[in-house]
Amino acid sequence: MLEVLDQARLLVVTGKGGTGKTTVAAGLAVAAAGRGRRVLVAEVEGRQGLAGLFGRRQLDHREARVAPGVNALAVDPDESLREYLARYGFAPLARLLSWAHLNRFITAAAPGLGDVLLVGKVWEAATREARSGSPGGYDLVVLDAPPTGRVVPFLRAPETVAELARVGPIRHQADRVRDLLDDPERTAVVLTCLPEELPVAETLEGVAALREAGLPVAAVVANQVTGDRLGGRAGRLAALARDPAPLAAAAAAAGARLDRAALGTLVDEARDRQRVVVRERRLLKELRAGVDGLPVVELPFLAGGAGGLEGVRALAGHLAPAGLWTAAGTASGRRLPSRSGAPASRGSDDAHPEAGEAGG
Amino acid sequence: MTTRAAGTTLVSAAPPPLAGLARSARIVVCCGSGGVGKTSTAAAVALWAAESGRRTCVLTIDPARRLAQALGLDLLSNAPRPVRAKGLSARGPGSLDAMMLDMRRTFDEVIERYARDAEQADRILANRFYQRLSSTLAGTQEYMAMEKLYELHESQRYDLLVVDTPPTRSALDFLDAPDNLNELLDARAFRLLIAPAQRIGRGYLRGLNLATTAMTKMVRRVTGSELLAEVGEFFAAFEGMYDGFKERAGLVYDQLKHPSTAFVVVATPDGAALREAAYFAGRLAADRMPLGALVVNRIHQTGPVPQVPAAARRRLAAGADGRLLADLLELHDGLETLAAAEQRRVRDLLATVPNLGVVQVPMLADDVHDLAGLRRLGAHLFA
Repeated sequence: MLEVLDQARLLVVTGKGGTGKTTVAAGLAVAAAGRGRRVLVAEVEGRQGLAGLFGRRQLDHREARVAPGVNALAVDPDESLREYLARYGFAPLARLLSWAHLNRFITAAAPGLGDVLLVGKVWEAATREARSGSPGGYDLVVLDAPPTGRVVPFLRAPETVAELARVGPIRHQADRVRDLLDDPERTAVVLTCLPEELPVAETLEGVAALREAGLPVAAVVANQVTGDRLGGRAGRLAALARDPAPLAAAAAAAGARLDRAALGTLVDEARDRQRVVVRERRLLKELRAGVDGLPVVELPFLAGGAGGLEGVRALAGHLAPAGLWTAAGTASGRRLPSRSGAPASRGSDDAHPEAGEAGG
Repeated sequence: MTTRAAGTTLVSAAPPPLAGLARSARIVVCCGSGGVGKTSTAAAVALWAAESGRRTCVLTIDPARRLAQALGLDLLSNAPRPVRAKGLSARGPGSLDAMMLDMRRTFDEVIERYARDAEQADRILANRFYQRLSSTLAGTQEYMAMEKLYELHESQRYDLLVVDTPPTRSALDFLDAPDNLNELLDARAFRLLIAPAQRIGRGYLRGLNLATTAMTKMVRRVTGSELLAEVGEFFAAFEGMYDGFKERAGLVYDQLKHPSTAFVVVATPDGAALREAAYFAGRLAADRMPLGALVVNRIHQTGPVPQVPAAARRRLAAGADGRLLADLLELHDGLETLAAAEQRRVRDLLATVPNLGVVQVPMLADDVHDLAGLRRLGAHLFA
């Protein structure tokens, strides 16, 4: 089941807003590239969240190289409609719609059709090689999907619209998208979460909803877990909070000039931290119990925030050995990215064909 | 090199702005990206206003039932209900109601209220396209929030309406919603496109040119004919209701622009959340919407601790308490770095938005899920 992340063609990353969905999607993309896979990471909500993480001002509908082995794409509904119509031989219609500024009517009038086009574009990228029979596609597409509350209707949009259009290309494509999404060999859904009450509750609801819809849920990534380097010394800290004399003695012996107030501040800050750690532990336990055997991967809180490529690489470094992948690594036998957060994908660039302009 | 760190100094640009808003505004709209404590902030502002003597209603359109949890209510109906939780002590005439928007029911109610007659309402409500439009179309929720806001505002039952919005991207739709839906519902060009389907029921085809017919054929081949028929029937049934929709949306838009409305942008000191906040502030400025305050939740703070030189730190390794102290110092350093980075990011944002009042709320020990939690949050918001 875990091997799916090394074999999947499509990784759908969802989660409650603010839980680091986009960052984890970027981290997974970089980690997979570090294992020699050719990766496309795509966002569909027009938020330009990936752009900031990869140090770009903006991403658009053209697939662009953003890191070694990683291309990124911001799927645009209008462009998707144009491509969609052209693929089925309706290029003149696409031009006419564009001329009459009617694109929005089409996507707005058929509920979910906008989502159908976005999902369709992701499906196209994930199955490009298989369909064309020629190289130039991707081994893995990572989708920064809508948040948990909307992800099932989003992924099932092709089905919804196909109900209204029982024949024709829409029905045909809906069936093929469903084939990919429902296949646990090719698709894996990953949920991001924070070790806080509401995100844990929403993650449990999300896992249930995704399973109910028959979508292959593969893992939960618990983001920003507070580090615990004082573990086991909570009792000592409590004693020192009452009487900091031993700390004062240790400080004096070492020649560290810390008065009682400063020592009190240090102990208070540590005890606040311990309370957070204890609460997070409890919530992560609830999460594990609630997801019924699903792997839960913990990522550390990054002090600098995860903005920028360095943060993404640090996350990728933590994700790579996180037990989400096959033990043996990839066929090409590349070394695993280091846990220290060193550039996770160094050396894999040559494994990736020049797919930077492969979007045509 | 400083020898004594002063602990965290919070950025503040203007006097605490929230109390004034909660006392005098008629509508407060809280917006920001997901997971920044928007719903809790909205509820805490509403509670504070209610306890200050105003008749207050908090309206959430967030799909997650978080406000319900925050207010200790299991289920909110599509109409305001009084919050009857233990410990609510509204002073004088003050009161607190809460509601969670059910967009489908709101849409149904709007159709029933504004339809010519029961027959027109029934035709619309029974239409499959309408049923999907009202429950799944992106933007519908925002539009319905506007309708509900208008309805509550018009009722004059409340001194203050506090509106919680979906995460930023959709909250921008909140401003666009009237335009979007009106454009759709008033889409004469689109009605031309689907006219052959209307002809079945309505019997008019005149004026269609060759291009439209060709286009229609192609659309039918792509989508299947039933979709078009449903859409056509919907537009036929909806005839005559466009103007009402347009008029009400315009009125709400004007009310949002009115000085008695205040937008409160909520964020955390996280880079992404602050970028969203900056984007939102810019967007509000572009629409000339009144931006009232920035709330930054979950700020890390440190107390003052003198610098300890590296040599002294090395000597701490001698005993168990010394090693613990070394760890405490390291923890403090990390916290200080984090707090400084957060303040830098907040300052950077404020530099781009002139004269914006900012309220910084420290990381609270517990999640806010009851009135006591909302009061603790309120104590920081209105400090």
